[in-house]
Amino acid sequence: MSGLVIALLLVLLLLTGMPISIALGLTVLAFLFTFSTIPVEIVSQRLFTGLDQFAIMAIPFFILSGAFLTTGGVARRIIRFATALVGSFSGGLAMSAVLSCAFFAAVSGSSPATVVAIGSIMIPAMVQHGYPKKFGVGVVATSGGLGVLIPPSIVMIIYGVSTSTSIGQLFMAGVVPGLLMAAVLLLVTWLVAKRHGYPTLPRASLQEVWHAFRGSVWGLFLVVIVIGGIYGGIFTPTEAAAVSAVYAFVVAVFIYKELKLKDVPRVLLQAANMSAMLLYIITNAILFSFLLTSENIPQNLAQWIIDQGLTPWMFLLVVNVLLFFAGDFMEPSSIILILAPIFLPVAQQLGIDPIHLGIVMTINMELGMITPPVGLNLYVASGLARMGLTETTLAAAPWILVVTAVLLLVTYVPQISLWLPRLLYGPAG
Amino acid sequence: MLNRLLDRLEETLIAGFMALATLIIFFAVVHRYTSSIGWVWQYTRHIEVNWAQEACIYLFIWMAKFGAAYGVRTGIHVGVDVLVRKLDGAKQRFFVVFSLLSGAFFTAVIALLGTRFVLHIGELGQVSPDLGMPMWIVYLAIPLGSGLMCYRFVQVLLAYAQGQPLPGHHYGDPGEIPE
Repeated sequence: MSGLVIALLLVLLLLTGMPISIALGLTVLAFLFTFSTIPVEIVSQRLFTGLDQFAIMAIPFFILSGAFLTTGGVARRIIRFATALVGSFSGGLAMSAVLSCAFFAAVSGSSPATVVAIGSIMIPAMVQHGYPKKFGVGVVATSGGLGVLIPPSIVMIIYGVSTSTSIGQLFMAGVVPGLLMAAVLLLVTWLVAKRHGYPTLPRASLQEVWHAFRGSVWGLFLVVIVIGGIYGGIFTPTEAAAVSAVYAFVVAVFIYKELKLKDVPRVLLQAANMSAMLLYIITNAILFSFLLTSENIPQNLAQWIIDQGLTPWMFLLVVNVLLFFAGDFMEPSSIILILAPIFLPVAQQLGIDPIHLGIVMTINMELGMITPPVGLNLYVASGLARMGLTETTLAAAPWILVVTAVLLLVTYVPQISLWLPRLLYGPAG
Repeated sequence: MLNRLLDRLEETLIAGFMALATLIIFFAVVHRYTSSIGWVWQYTRHIEVNWAQEACIYLFIWMAKFGAAYGVRTGIHVGVDVLVRKLDGAKQRFFVVFSLLSGAFFTAVIALLGTRFVLHIGELGQVSPDLGMPMWIVYLAIPLGSGLMCYRFVQVLLAYAQGQPLPGHHYGDPGEIPE
């Protein structure tokens, strides 16, 4: 009963268009003042203690690191390296765009950031080489989604925080599905390009490949710092994020010299702006899920679903469909924060690994980012290409099928995500 | 004039907190690894760094509370505006005003609750575990940040009432650095 009231209130408030964080907060306040016996004082305490976790602080650090990477010339060098590798295939430039997104995803934690970093260079380049603009935009908007699937990933950190799952293990679990998604996108790009006869670039000599690699190696070394550092037990994910922020700053300002020291405060401010927005949603979402838990809603819902005799695969299908629709209207962090704590108890009762659920939700978010009406990647890509949102949406539409196919594969073959973390951390740890 | 000063203060604080937190954690990590280099360690082993995590968390919480207020000014707080955007002029105006008022109301309530909480903690005389900082100072971020955020909502509302456009945040703007 109380669950219904809460859900209804939240949906009504959301529909007025107010910020998601405010809608969450008001729902909690309204409920506490009317229906509940929980003292209201707990709200102000939770607003602080909710954020009082070192793991959450990886988010601002990764955002800062991404800001330095985007402005510091790292993307351009990664693109040159990717182009030297795959440029000579059919649709070489488009394939380079996919590969660049995969590389950039491995050093940054966000999808829109990946779309901006790669798309701002690759979309104009593809158009210049005679690719249909629609194709270029679709490729970049979709491949940008790799940003949250290939670690590091802000969405995974948020999932880890809101469900108390190991962020290190989530990162490792994202590696194989991320590579799989990248491979599928490369393959589809190649097939489409071959059929339409899109241009190829001259084959790069080994020397040119080596040269391009040398240029990008400073940026790519971040992969070693983040993944190697976390897996090797050298850093916690938060420390790895802080180290990569400092490293990205050094590379941007002192090695590539594309960011001037006097512009650093501006980069800091923009990263802080984005981080504060996310942290504000997180605070209020933690408050919200505290309310849900204290009203026993996730537990009751879990019991109800179990009583309906849902099997694991049916539950996962429900998750997929629900997230697909949620992803059409809200941005990823809010969805994960609101829904992950509700899904998790059910998944655990059904014997679904929390790590696997995290990866499934992450890919679902990727799908949400390229589906209208609220697809972050679509907004970014349409801004970059100076193309209308409707046109951009149509451009990305065929790719929705490709991402859905990979999503279903990863959802129903848990080994794809669980193999690597099990290998590294031992079974079900 | 006073508003301009407040704007600058807000921006400097949040960018500064961000930089400081990053440097603190970076040096704490570097410090930990100097322990394997004998000749450095004899100098660095006397430096205490176990306060670093706590300091980082507190800096980021302050950054988040003031940054949220700055975010109202830059229009970064996203909502589900698909339906509202389809409405015609007057109805759309109603919902925009309603959501700005809701924002101002929520942040005002939190500022009040936060003030009461800070006074309560002040009486208890709690200090933080690692830094030994009085907790009421740390928790001050809630009433101050939320109060400032409320002020920003009112500011945006007044500007909107005078016919100015809402501050908008667009991904992919030139010079924009996304999340």
